[in-house]
Amino acid sequence: MISNQPRGRRQTAIRLFAREFYESSLPDGGQGEYDPRFVVTKLGAKVNRMYVAGVIERLEKRETERGTMFSGAVRDPTGLHLWSVGSFRPELHIEMEELVAKFEGGDRFLMACIGKSNHYTTEDGGFRCRMQMEDYAIIDRETYANWLVETAHHTMRRIDALNKAQSAENTDANSLRDAGVPKDLIDGLGLAMNHYGEWDSEGYKVGVLQALSAAEGRVVSFEEHEAIDASEDGNEPQEKGPVSEAQDVSDESVPTPTTGGDIETTVLEIIVQHSGAEGIDYDSIMKHCAQRGFTDEDAIEDTIYGLRDDKCEIMEPRFGWFKPM
Amino acid sequence: MSTPEEFENEVRAVKEAVPEANEEEIVKEFTRYKDEFLVPPKHALRSVIEHFQKEAGMEVGAPKISSRPAAKSVERFSNLSSDDSNVTIEVEVVTYVPRMQMVRGEEKQIAFGWIEDNPWEDGGERTRWDFKDWGNHAESLTPGSVVRLEGVSVNEWNGKFSLNVNQSSRVAVLRGSERKVVQAPSEPTAIERVLGMDGFATVVARVLSKREMTVNKKDGSGTLDMVKGRLADDTGTIGFACFGNFDHPIGTLVRIEGAAIRRFRDTPELNIGDRTKVEVYHDNAFASLEDLQSSSVLQIGQLRDGSADVSIIVQLTSWASRSFTGQDGTEKTVWGGDAVDPSGTCRLTAWSELPIDSDSLPVAVKLNGIRVRSWQGTPDLTVDRADQAEILDAIPWDAIDATDHAVDVDFTELLSGGSRSGVSSTATVISVATGSGIILRCPECKRAMRDGACMNPACNSQGPQVGIEDLRLRLILDDGISNGAIILARASAEDFLEMSMDDVKAACKSDQGESFLADLRSKMLGRKYTFTGRAMIDAQGALLMADNFKMAESELAESANVVREQWGVFV
Repeated sequence: MISNQPRGRRQTAIRLFAREFYESSLPDGGQGEYDPRFVVTKLGAKVNRMYVAGVIERLEKRETERGTMFSGAVRDPTGLHLWSVGSFRPELHIEMEELVAKFEGGDRFLMACIGKSNHYTTEDGGFRCRMQMEDYAIIDRETYANWLVETAHHTMRRIDALNKAQSAENTDANSLRDAGVPKDLIDGLGLAMNHYGEWDSEGYKVGVLQALSAAEGRVVSFEEHEAIDASEDGNEPQEKGPVSEAQDVSDESVPTPTTGGDIETTVLEIIVQHSGAEGIDYDSIMKHCAQRGFTDEDAIEDTIYGLRDDKCEIMEPRFGWFKPM
Repeated sequence: MSTPEEFENEVRAVKEAVPEANEEEIVKEFTRYKDEFLVPPKHALRSVIEHFQKEAGMEVGAPKISSRPAAKSVERFSNLSSDDSNVTIEVEVVTYVPRMQMVRGEEKQIAFGWIEDNPWEDGGERTRWDFKDWGNHAESLTPGSVVRLEGVSVNEWNGKFSLNVNQSSRVAVLRGSERKVVQAPSEPTAIERVLGMDGFATVVARVLSKREMTVNKKDGSGTLDMVKGRLADDTGTIGFACFGNFDHPIGTLVRIEGAAIRRFRDTPELNIGDRTKVEVYHDNAFASLEDLQSSSVLQIGQLRDGSADVSIIVQLTSWASRSFTGQDGTEKTVWGGDAVDPSGTCRLTAWSELPIDSDSLPVAVKLNGIRVRSWQGTPDLTVDRADQAEILDAIPWDAIDATDHAVDVDFTELLSGGSRSGVSSTATVISVATGSGIILRCPECKRAMRDGACMNPACNSQGPQVGIEDLRLRLILDDGISNGAIILARASAEDFLEMSMDDVKAACKSDQGESFLADLRSKMLGRKYTFTGRAMIDAQGALLMADNFKMAESELAESANVVREQWGVFV
């Protein structure tokens, strides 16, 4: 049995792109002392062990109360995989020291990283995922390209399973099996569908396209509407920004619609509209946001960094000033 | 190849941030990201800017490592304030009234209604709020259902609070308003599915074989009559055991309701007990006995340890006999040989003499109603009586050369099946285990020792030992769905490393093999390999033994195309 692995059996390393992992917000397992802990992604992958890859983008050594640790990030076509090497893995520390020196000397390289998913909740209730590194290797372009293709395959396999699951009558294991969901995804998809509800997997397909093209040597970045699934011909691209619509509506009935999910579109719009030659400074973004009903500064700040680091929609030419790309 | 023009925008952005940066150098950096790391310029921008900022001695904005939008999760409406905008809460939907509204000249469906917090406490105090659904969640927000709202925002108007369910909000139905129909356990299940199930099952199947037998009770209190046999439908076959009467002749179509699924070794079996209902079933469209019999002939690749009543055709490639003295002191003879078919290799053991002439090999043998035992990953077909074997006139396939017969099997297929030998498969090395390299074996039991001592409790020499040096590699293979450990014993390891054991010893001398292992890791981790050998699979996992191990051959462009074709992803 592959899906319901009995206790003590080694967990398989899930291949997934950064975005699928960091958009997850559902923990599972870990009740008993030896129960494995999982992060369940929107596509139903139950991630305990994972295998990710990309170009090194951050790496630093930190001294904490619990000892020396290292944290770093590798970039794949969909964003950043954050990882850390804990103080409880001293066997990796010597190599990490060397890696930090290399990184700080300006060297950049591709890495294959194998580790365990980890999650924690922030003080304000946010759910964050990252990876505890178990092992890694510096890899060549060819090995990375192979990882991109393999991960694209696994992502599409999960998207396909999600589509099948959505046509099922129910989210219990039997219904999902009857709908053709592969054995290893039944459990996770059942959990994911109940937790994440309805959403559009189009963005994940863009990541797949990006990865396949990169692996084939055509290194470009796609926009969301460019992903077309041949099996869903005529599927109109989803509009992403309901903000202006919410504003129209607000004229009639609703004052200051503080539409939480739209914060990103709003912030991006503010930056596009108001940035001069220098860009727009952090405080002005906050003011504009407040005018539009967004007052949670932490959320705005997170959004700004998300736009800068993960989506690459904006840049920070100098500290505290932001411009659209 | 890259041209400077394609980085125009990004180069300008870098120049703005770091005016003194050299344009050529900037293009070079972007080209490197694109060609070496497969990162498009847009995604590489921040790293490149940082690189030049650092070079210019400028202060680099400290990267904030964790930065995801935060959600607020509450149980009661009273915990919310008017500026909360990314809220998670569980509520019961009271009413849901859809309404068409003109938005930007377009007719859109929105909806409003009432929701109540504290939905789980029976008779508990609840607060009722208005809500508006901007995201068309009509299907999930049915009145009477309990849902979890995620990413909703609070709205305050003249001191009155309400919730906005936005387009980007998620609605997870926790309790539907109508109880979902659960599949009744009396519905029949296809045998193929029963093989992967636990618990109880109902099947409609034809009796393929049966035999009455008497077994001794374990406690010695007497004997028990039972009937064993095999059932089939057009999806597969399964053995059954019935304690009591089973008067249905071979070929009868029966409906068996509420039989317990029991497992013997790797093999599931239906147990027909007191509470199981067995009745004759009528369905003219059901597959005939003849069809089922011919399709229930197994191949070596499908064998499971512990199976009984197996029918199979194999090509016998060797045959010999051996005599020994049994426990009761009598002289006994057992015959055995190697068997192959297009799906793999196995052993054949016979406890009666079969009419096989070892000079006429290879020869095809049809076996009926035999048992399967596995030993160290190799299935062993056990023939108890001469009438279970029938020598065929011709081999039904092109005679297989048993010396290098290996069947290509998908990795997950291999690991989710039973033990097999003569197979070949491909997966990624995800770990090089410590204990790879030069190891010491106990001179008595031959097991690998730890810390200079034999740890095998069953060994006469358990404890500190002078071990015998050996070479072995232990790796974890993983294809993203399944994983297993693979062992390369000395010969395979020497072949793979292109090093003799003495070479490895020399390489490990200075630091107890640490740098040898580190080298191996950096060479192998994340890369795909193909092995040929056997797979021992049980409830604990899979152990693979490699006769041959090498880097997988793959054509990148081709594999990318396969993914595009399989899932229909094109631009």
